[in-house]
Amino acid sequence: MNITLTINSKAYEADFSPNETLLKTLRKLGFHGVKFGDEAGLSGADTVLLDGKPINAGSMLTAQAEGHKIVTIEGLGEHPEQGWKKTDGLHALQQAFIETGAVQCGYCTPGQVLASQTLLEQNPNPSEDEVREAISGVLCRCTGYVKPVQAVLRAAAQLRGEGFDPIGGAGLFDWPVENPSTPLGGEPLSNSPSIATQVAPKIIVAPETKKWKTVGKPEIKVDAIKLVQGKPAFAADIEKRGMLIAKVLHSPHAHARIKNIDTSKAKAIPGVVAVLTWKDIPRVVYSTAGQSDPIPGPLDTFSLDNKVRFVGDRVAFVAAETVEIADMALSKIEVEYEALSAILDSEDAMKPDAIQIHDEPEYVNFADSDPSRNLAAEIRIDIGDVEKGFAEADRIFEGDYVVPKVQQAHIEPHVCVTYWDEDDRLVMRTSTQVPFHVRRMLAPVLDLPVKRIRVIKPRIGGGFGGKQEVLMEDVPAHLTIATGRPVIYEYTREEEFIAARSRHPMKVHMKTGVKKDGTITANEMVVLADTGANGAHALTVTGNTGHKSMALYVGDGKYRKSPNIRFYADVVYTNTPPSGAFRGYGVPQGFWPLDRHLEKITREMGFDPIEFRLKNAIRPGEYHPFSKAWNEGREPRPEIVHTVGLEQCVQQAKAAIGWDQKFNNEDWRNGPTPADNGQGPELGKASSAVQRPSPLRKGIGLATVMQGTAIPYLDMGGASIKMNDDGSFNLLVGATDLGTGSDTVLAQMAAEVLGVPLEDLICYSSDTDFTPFDKGAYASSTTYISGTAVVHAAEKVADRIKVRAAKMLGDIDSQEIELRDRKAYGPDGKFITLSEVAMDSLHRNDQEQIMAVASYVSPVSPPPFGAQFAEVTVDIETGQVTVDHLVMAVDSGVIINPLTASGQIEGGMTQALGYAVCEEMRYNEKGEALERDLDRYHIFRADEMPELTTIFVETFEPSHPFGVKAVAEIPMDGVAPAVGNAVRDAIGIDIDEIPITPEKVWQALKQGL
Amino acid sequence: MITAYHRPKTIPEALDLLKQNDTFPLGGGTLLSQLKSDSIEVVDLQSLNLDTLKKKGNYVVVGATVTLQQILKSSHTPEDLKSALQLEAPLNIRNAATIAGALVAGDGRSPFVTALLALDAKLTTQPDDEQIEIGNFLATRDKGSIPNLISAITLPTHAVLAFEHVGRTPKDKPIVCAALASWPSGRSRLALGGYGVVPLLAMDGTEPEGLESAARNAFKEAKDDWASADYRMDVAATLAMRCLEKIQRD
Repeated sequence: MNITLTINSKAYEADFSPNETLLKTLRKLGFHGVKFGDEAGLSGADTVLLDGKPINAGSMLTAQAEGHKIVTIEGLGEHPEQGWKKTDGLHALQQAFIETGAVQCGYCTPGQVLASQTLLEQNPNPSEDEVREAISGVLCRCTGYVKPVQAVLRAAAQLRGEGFDPIGGAGLFDWPVENPSTPLGGEPLSNSPSIATQVAPKIIVAPETKKWKTVGKPEIKVDAIKLVQGKPAFAADIEKRGMLIAKVLHSPHAHARIKNIDTSKAKAIPGVVAVLTWKDIPRVVYSTAGQSDPIPGPLDTFSLDNKVRFVGDRVAFVAAETVEIADMALSKIEVEYEALSAILDSEDAMKPDAIQIHDEPEYVNFADSDPSRNLAAEIRIDIGDVEKGFAEADRIFEGDYVVPKVQQAHIEPHVCVTYWDEDDRLVMRTSTQVPFHVRRMLAPVLDLPVKRIRVIKPRIGGGFGGKQEVLMEDVPAHLTIATGRPVIYEYTREEEFIAARSRHPMKVHMKTGVKKDGTITANEMVVLADTGANGAHALTVTGNTGHKSMALYVGDGKYRKSPNIRFYADVVYTNTPPSGAFRGYGVPQGFWPLDRHLEKITREMGFDPIEFRLKNAIRPGEYHPFSKAWNEGREPRPEIVHTVGLEQCVQQAKAAIGWDQKFNNEDWRNGPTPADNGQGPELGKASSAVQRPSPLRKGIGLATVMQGTAIPYLDMGGASIKMNDDGSFNLLVGATDLGTGSDTVLAQMAAEVLGVPLEDLICYSSDTDFTPFDKGAYASSTTYISGTAVVHAAEKVADRIKVRAAKMLGDIDSQEIELRDRKAYGPDGKFITLSEVAMDSLHRNDQEQIMAVASYVSPVSPPPFGAQFAEVTVDIETGQVTVDHLVMAVDSGVIINPLTASGQIEGGMTQALGYAVCEEMRYNEKGEALERDLDRYHIFRADEMPELTTIFVETFEPSHPFGVKAVAEIPMDGVAPAVGNAVRDAIGIDIDEIPITPEKVWQALKQGL
Repeated sequence: MITAYHRPKTIPEALDLLKQNDTFPLGGGTLLSQLKSDSIEVVDLQSLNLDTLKKKGNYVVVGATVTLQQILKSSHTPEDLKSALQLEAPLNIRNAATIAGALVAGDGRSPFVTALLALDAKLTTQPDDEQIEIGNFLATRDKGSIPNLISAITLPTHAVLAFEHVGRTPKDKPIVCAALASWPSGRSRLALGGYGVVPLLAMDGTEPEGLESAARNAFKEAKDDWASADYRMDVAATLAMRCLEKIQRD
């Protein structure tokens, strides 16, 4: 049907199918700022304005939009300088999103900006609640919404003509930095009571940072400008002539053999170009875990197999001209299954009569995996003499805890485009955290040498570990090989739930020996982890469950030198979708049982919860207890922990949340204010009006946590830097910015070394043809590992610049040259600009390309530390828990960029909040997923968030040139136990299983009464 | 798959189109993802001038294509109905979803439909301007008996509404919700949601006595993936009483 659409005030006339959604049409017309996030419009990634109101383009037919005015992000603003052509520039909202750090992965940014524009047109002076309501239809999994809210308020102020201070200046965006000499413990944050102003983290700065110009500053993200304009920066934002649509037929059975499969009817459908089954492609066993070689886990996966091992497993691939034809083809594939008994409970996996899930002869063991027992990995770590430690204890505490399977739920789904280039090399443009692993690992699967594969990693719309999996790139690759044509495979939201990876669910037994004085004498954690149908990450995720959490508490006194720690784990196969990497990588699963267990001990023994934790926590100069016992599939090597800012973190966070005023304060606990807590705004008043006691109880809790920073002796990152004619630099890194801002912080470090502003660094990541190797974005390693590589490359480039500058300035010792402000200064104050050095080197004298490559592997993994506090309100009649405030103080070493780092903490806390109270993937008795969309699987929206407070306590980690440690994963670790401990504080009852749902609390209250 | 799209300008024209096999009305479009049939035609109602709210005496007549957000912003809408609407869907969806669409598609977890059930909303259908009580509509809806064309929904403005809910998070769909409407005559009508294919009418009486036990009885078998029946019975009673307290206080 012929339709005319009005988009950004221009008319577009074309022939559209009645079935076509507005989302599809807009993207076909080149408006790539509107994205696919889910089919139901719950993600809001597909937000456009229709007659000035935000709606979901994916939920509307194109024909419905005729006669209405459509505005996309492309209609808002653009880069102010287009060569000789000047434009009106970016919209104030776009500018504010950039400046406040509201753009993280940027996938949801266009939707948030558009929704905010509507608000500001209707209400130029909105409250924070109104802003949160306005953007509530656009889910963000990166930011925790703090900075987007701040951005809208800032833009509103600008549009009202009110002055405001630049970021880094005084006023609203002041960074409340303190130096370490400030007395700790007591002073509250200097921010105003408004949540909005708390976007700026408080930073206790390390003295070493004072001299730096770029490092430590809230620079804007290097990719923010393109992302806020909705430029075609993501994997799916590409058009190739003749591109086919890939679809996968998923298994309806949890465990079955494929006895017969008939694709003839599917192939006969016009527009179907290829249908592939296990019979059509090479049978190559591999692991989908995106890890360095050799992969520390079993090889137990095939692109397609004659057996299915979970509901959602692959049965066949289809390539067709359209989505509709591909879907029709799937429905015409006839499969005869021989159903097998299925294991759905991890406790059944190793029973003597259990069916063997992996009986294929090609299975390749790693370490202690044993497919005959459905055992993907086994871990037995004994540090010290655990039994002796228990014998020395005055009390032994035991307990059982459960953590669920949860989804990464990145808003951009997995998506990959494959095509043959003009050199007959297979190109994969994919949303991955591990482009180099994708290339290496899929080469044998596709029967191609590594050199004939190129992997391009564009911008990524969030990953959180879900894209550390070589999950689905093989599907379009096989189909491109089969058809010779470009193929795009984009996961539906349902596929993300039934056929992607998730956090390992675990059942954990804790046993702890304690002396009367609070000394932990021995600590034991025994884990049963469910890896699902494949063993990717089985060993390493579960190993980290103990390695990071159990290492925090070594005990006090003599136990510091010789702690007694036991960590045992069985990681078993079940017929559920495979588990995998998820931000935190096993560590959140460890801290829920560990910290809840410690909380019970403090309550039972009458210890102060803070003193008890700090008394037993690891201190600077002590060995990481696990470093002598275990590494991720590698030889363990002893490692001393040099920097521990935990005590300062606790002091800062407890002051920020008002611990001393609230803890053990019965008046506070029983007299919550009747603020809106989701139960209706007047509940408290209602209670008093009828003289009924309030059913609300307040509680406060904490958890202390540690993580790691990269994997020592294993994780390698590379960087190259090239100088251009104008004194700018190309920084090429294999590191994978998945929205974290790593490109920005890497460029900041290079700029600091080279004495130039950040804007002179052109950062590109990543392309296996052009950028140096990097193992990818995982294990909290990029700033530390790749950052050191960048610094080393920059130092080499700086050395060459200094040599040439010394010569140009006239027989000066190059060691005396200083690079700053785009100039090379001699000791006498004379200088030459870097552009002059560049022009001289490239064109005039002794020509050379000034450039350098460097790489880095660390011998250590310095842990970051954190103190997580939570304040909750519990309704003792319904069991509903409302989290009111989360405070996290973190020792992540030196903070390179407060904007990006605090964004990591805020986003991480939000994701962890879902882990604490609402997120869970469950299966019925047939192994079918109950959660298949963003309705049943609820992630937090902007309009229901608690107050978030972030504090950085800097230490200077001596193993890094700029003193950094990791920041990305640690916010996942402490929220759930802090919330659990706060619930305990509120109602005196322990919940041992997350998520803490209303019924669990209600049941516990009933049993406790 | 949608094979044809129609945008009639009059109700008779729409009714003629809807007489055809496999032809369905299209409201805001938010239900597109649920249309799984191989070949259907859709009739877009946006040009039928059904997008207004009109106050008539003690009632407000809401056109079928009025969006949820329009209702939320209306001065005729009671505050607790607004609370239910905010839980029903985030802003983007409320901007597109229509009241008729919500009634046709809303399941037992729908706070909005629960509130409308408590308010004893009346649906006006075409071609005969027939009025159907929402209770009867929901009872037959899932047996496939959906009127060809809903043109309006009538809500009482003289009834007081109270709404309470429990969910995993403040804005999650409820596990249990209760809506209590009270008329000046003393009539009290309690609807419960958070469970099942449609909300349940727990009580419709001349006075609120027995509210608590009515709530418990209604959820006797309300067990699903989200909660046990015991939990729902207990919490439904609590929420129902909170609704009553709220109404009595106000």
